[in-house]
Amino acid sequence: MRAVHDRLVISRLVHRFSFGPKPGQYEYLVREGVTTARNRLLRTPAHDAGLASVVDPGLVDLGPFPPSKSTARAIFQQALSQQFSAMTLWWLDRMVLADYPLIERMTWFWHGHWATSISKVVYPLPMKVQNETMRLYGLGSFAGLARAMVVDGALIYWLDGQLNVAQAPNENLGREFMELFTLGVGNYSEDDVKAVAAAFTGYRVTTSNGLVTFQPSVHDYSPLAILGATAPFVAPSLSDYVVSLDANAAFVAQRLWFRFVSTTTSVPTTLVKGFANRDVRSLVEAIARHPAMKDPRHAQAKSPVEWFVSACRALQITPSNLPSTVTVANYLSLMGQVPFAPPSVGGWPYDEAWLTAASFQYRLAFATYLVKNGDLSPVVNASNDVNRSLANWLGVAKWSPRTTQAFSEAQGDPARLALLALCAPEYVVNA
Amino acid sequence: MGDVSRRRFLQYSGASALAAMTTNLTMQDVARAASASPLPLGTPILVVVTLYGGNDGLNTVVPYADPIYSSSRPGISLSDAQVIPLARGLALNSSMTGFKSLWDQNRLAIVLGASYPQPNHSHFTSMAIWQTASPNKQISSGWIGRWLDGQPRDPMRAIGMGSVLTPLLAGEHRVASMLPLGGLVVPTGTLATQTQQLAMVSPTDSVLAADASASIGDFYQVAATVQPVLKSQAPNAPNALAQQLDVVANLIAANVPTRVWSVTLGGFDTHADELRAQSQLVGSVSDAVTNFLTKMDATARARDVVVLVYSEFGRRVQANASLGTDHGTSGPVFIAGHRVAGGFYGEQPSLSQLVSGDLAVTSDFRDVYASMLQDVLGTDATQIMPGWTTKLNLITP
Repeated sequence: MRAVHDRLVISRLVHRFSFGPKPGQYEYLVREGVTTARNRLLRTPAHDAGLASVVDPGLVDLGPFPPSKSTARAIFQQALSQQFSAMTLWWLDRMVLADYPLIERMTWFWHGHWATSISKVVYPLPMKVQNETMRLYGLGSFAGLARAMVVDGALIYWLDGQLNVAQAPNENLGREFMELFTLGVGNYSEDDVKAVAAAFTGYRVTTSNGLVTFQPSVHDYSPLAILGATAPFVAPSLSDYVVSLDANAAFVAQRLWFRFVSTTTSVPTTLVKGFANRDVRSLVEAIARHPAMKDPRHAQAKSPVEWFVSACRALQITPSNLPSTVTVANYLSLMGQVPFAPPSVGGWPYDEAWLTAASFQYRLAFATYLVKNGDLSPVVNASNDVNRSLANWLGVAKWSPRTTQAFSEAQGDPARLALLALCAPEYVVNA
Repeated sequence: MGDVSRRRFLQYSGASALAAMTTNLTMQDVARAASASPLPLGTPILVVVTLYGGNDGLNTVVPYADPIYSSSRPGISLSDAQVIPLARGLALNSSMTGFKSLWDQNRLAIVLGASYPQPNHSHFTSMAIWQTASPNKQISSGWIGRWLDGQPRDPMRAIGMGSVLTPLLAGEHRVASMLPLGGLVVPTGTLATQTQQLAMVSPTDSVLAADASASIGDFYQVAATVQPVLKSQAPNAPNALAQQLDVVANLIAANVPTRVWSVTLGGFDTHADELRAQSQLVGSVSDAVTNFLTKMDATARARDVVVLVYSEFGRRVQANASLGTDHGTSGPVFIAGHRVAGGFYGEQPSLSQLVSGDLAVTSDFRDVYASMLQDVLGTDATQIMPGWTTKLNLITP
């Protein structure tokens, strides 16, 4: 029985704290057992050969928009979209190629948490700067991350913070800071929203590079009454104060629990207590060690990007090397999830939202494209126990009889077997 | 044909029948082939239009005659030349000529000041409240989803346009199908039979794995019904909402057995530079809905269709310093169609008696939903919204 549990727990660890196994990895981790597997997956060594092989896109500051209808404008638009494509592939490559993907997984989590979209920011460079900030602080102190994010150019611009002045505040950033980033609904009043908006006044963004400057003449220096404290605040001191509140530990722990374990249950209070120091790494490790990881109720659907990245890892595909990177962008867009472009500041949907009839059509078509361009040797060289080989290849704990029946109908056709496995409910949903 | 016999139909016809349906069909053939159980004429159909971001109600149905309106909104109030007067000192944004024509035909109802007690200013909380119809208790099922729960299992019963499920359409036991906008590519041959094998129920499935499996079955069933229609008409519409409503119109005309459609449009979160952007957005809503109803007029379904348009909140009366508006409270809800008794319902909230700087709530959106459930979908609204016993009478029998 232990072996069955081990397969489930390790499947969850490798799909949720990483982006799915590379060929052979799951089998190896199962052989080593849960403790060793967990330790391996939680490591983020300074040198990661996979990550080191991904070349930084080196985005340059494109400066202001040239006048409309000029030739320069057309060239400029092209440069913007080239930068966006390069940046997106750079990040997808990192997720796929990392030997120790936890830090990319955390960056992906924080991207959904501080959900900022290129749709309004327009310039890729500030989005890239934000992405690096989330990577830098991704497993560090949440206080440090929050302090960096409240002066992040892309976030400020996305939520109209650059328009927020003492003389007439714009509440957008202040409200979302408490509701979605630090405290959660119900832990602040409408007066707090107005006061936090005042604390966030005076920050100006250079849109092309995300550089943030503080302009004292439009900052509100009056003492502000916010959640029990009255003081003059600026963005970093406000952030520190809000993050120090107990509600912040509970909220952030719940958000991590939601994405790593279960969208339907509450984070255990022991984990919240352990997060008193706001150290994200200890919280993530505590979640990975929690007995809930073997609770059969806690299945989770893979989002389209998670599904795509895990498929690439299994098929040894480097996204930027695919013959048509436009095809990749199109499928991700059709499936509803393009990195750097969340639908709203609330971040990505979850679970059932990804499991629609329409998403099946796109998943099947996308998988067909990936299988055609991927390395099928783990399927070609499968042992006599094809079901077992496919499960080990993709890090699936166990196939259902329904799915093994489908495999048996595709016997002797590795491409078809791979396609069915990638679209099987047991792969699309991490048990 | 009932639910079970339809499944048998699919089982026996298989992929070859899917392929056969795509060839050289007239619209009449499509209507017959499109559905194993076409929706009987005269069956009411509800089309729900969700506007994401919080549409500025005051720049949609404009209290232009009230001087407080323009004085509160320097730079973003509509001038008298930018509005189309209706009655009671209220006017439509001048971009909404389509809605004006519906109004003149007595086919447009405008419910004024709609929200719920103690409106929430969060997009996500407020949209969740509108979509679940549950202001007091946080629940996960949408109001259309709960209606689906009481219907026989049929992936055609309610359909949303797009690929990601709208919470509105998720019930406790059933979900609506999502229909891809770009048309359908349906597998054939062994790929069809093998992927349909993945749609078989397995007792070992978790709830989510069962959902993933069911979505495959739903895809094949929906595809069998709608593919001929989608194939025969390429989308040709000016914007996202119009494209979605175009597909809906074609499918309704082909008698697909769908009672509820869901379409969406985003971009209404106008914290900055809102005047032109918001006018364009409400103009596109007005155009898309009006064109949709005009298309329906050319079919036998004209009297069957009712369109409901809502957003999660209105916006603050006072402009902010960015030529935009922050999150507010109540706003207008539109209901359009032949069976709609046109006119205003409820009172326009006062601009001088604000509640913490926001418009008062003068209508409860659940009265609108009750009317849709009772008078369009023929369902006891208290089953879907327990304890809610009032409704507006805006649908004529």
